[in-house]
Amino acid sequence: MKLHKKILTHYLSCNSPVDKEGYLYKKGERNTSYQKRWFVLKGNLLFYKDRPGDRDLIGVIVLEGCSVQLCESEEQFAFSLVFSETGLGLRTYKLAAEDQPNQESWIKALLSANHSFLSLLVRDLEKQYEEMRREAYSSDTYQRSTVIGPDAERLAQSLITINSSPSSLKLGPGLREGRSYSTNHLLQAPPISSKPVCKRSPKLWPKRNAHVTPINGPTPPLGEWPLVGSGPLEDFGELHEHYGKEVKELRADWLQRKQGEEDNQEEDLIDFG
Amino acid sequence: MRFNEKELVSLSRQPSQRAAELGMKGPKKGDVVKKRLVKLVVNFLFYFRTDEEEPLGALLLEQCRVEREDDQAFSIAFLDEAERKYLFECDSQEQCLEWIDSIVKASYEFMRKNLIFYRTEIHRMTGKDPLEQYGISDETRFQVNSGLQPITKEA
Repeated sequence: MKLHKKILTHYLSCNSPVDKEGYLYKKGERNTSYQKRWFVLKGNLLFYKDRPGDRDLIGVIVLEGCSVQLCESEEQFAFSLVFSETGLGLRTYKLAAEDQPNQESWIKALLSANHSFLSLLVRDLEKQYEEMRREAYSSDTYQRSTVIGPDAERLAQSLITINSSPSSLKLGPGLREGRSYSTNHLLQAPPISSKPVCKRSPKLWPKRNAHVTPINGPTPPLGEWPLVGSGPLEDFGELHEHYGKEVKELRADWLQRKQGEEDNQEEDLIDFG
Repeated sequence: MRFNEKELVSLSRQPSQRAAELGMKGPKKGDVVKKRLVKLVVNFLFYFRTDEEEPLGALLLEQCRVEREDDQAFSIAFLDEAERKYLFECDSQEQCLEWIDSIVKASYEFMRKNLIFYRTEIHRMTGKDPLEQYGISDETRFQVNSGLQPITKEA
């Protein structure tokens, strides 16, 4: 497959912001020693070269479909970009930072570099913005609070998952033993509170969401990640289906119970012999 | 320049926002229109020979200009080279417009700009920074003055 590389290098050199750059050690493919390289993260692309001033790039890693994990390594402050848990023969890139703060900072940046993260975030703010504008023009005196919709809660969940690390930042199957992370204020997501003004009852939006990768459960296969390629209509449709199903089940449950009660009532309360 | 080809090919197989058979013509003189399965996944445009599993190529949809060329065709120009365009022929006006819309909105940088716009507006209207609830207010990539042109100056 041909990757039109000039387009990528042009994107790198244009004036859009660099999301993160710095030295990292990268484990070679054939030569298994770690090599020091200058990495530049822009959007969902991780470029690397020998030195910051170099014009020639050694390579680029497209950061879609990978999870960022802490890993066991001879190197300190190591982490990896894992593209496949399911034996598709995809690569794992092993990287190491110079110190713990850098390791933390890079992991955080790489975790949220993917396209869908930004896409969800934008969609969420867009909703807030539109809601706000409606309120601004309505005659009701609404509290000007941030309305947190279902997408926001879902996003908040995934961000909290990113930000609070049990013993690893892995969003994948199981939990590896190994280093625990000292959470500093940067990694703590403030608790999300649903303000009373929020029209939706909190009960209707359970914290367990269909689209959040469970931290203690198996990673859903790549095809199920809501991330790649899901358009707004699909997302909402799915979300609607999911909650609709729950409501239907609850209703069926209730109806069944009601039946049961009626049946019991047919018996006389007093035994007339 | 090396790149993670296998992983990119795997990405091309993911569910896509938009995929269709279109007529596609390369930017070079002498390139002709060929039927290709064109597939939009995140900010990449993949193109396949019909019924082939592996894409022929991948175009990153950043720093590009998408233009309507005709009733049913659009073009994408990269590298600020306005004359070197990829041409895409659709089956209908509607399809053409939908493709243009999708491609523009697929760009990472386009999303970033929108994010900053909404953030700024919400902050202006409510006094609150909407990114604070996610603990990402400080990130440089979401700052208004991080080397970006202000939205209002965009054509």
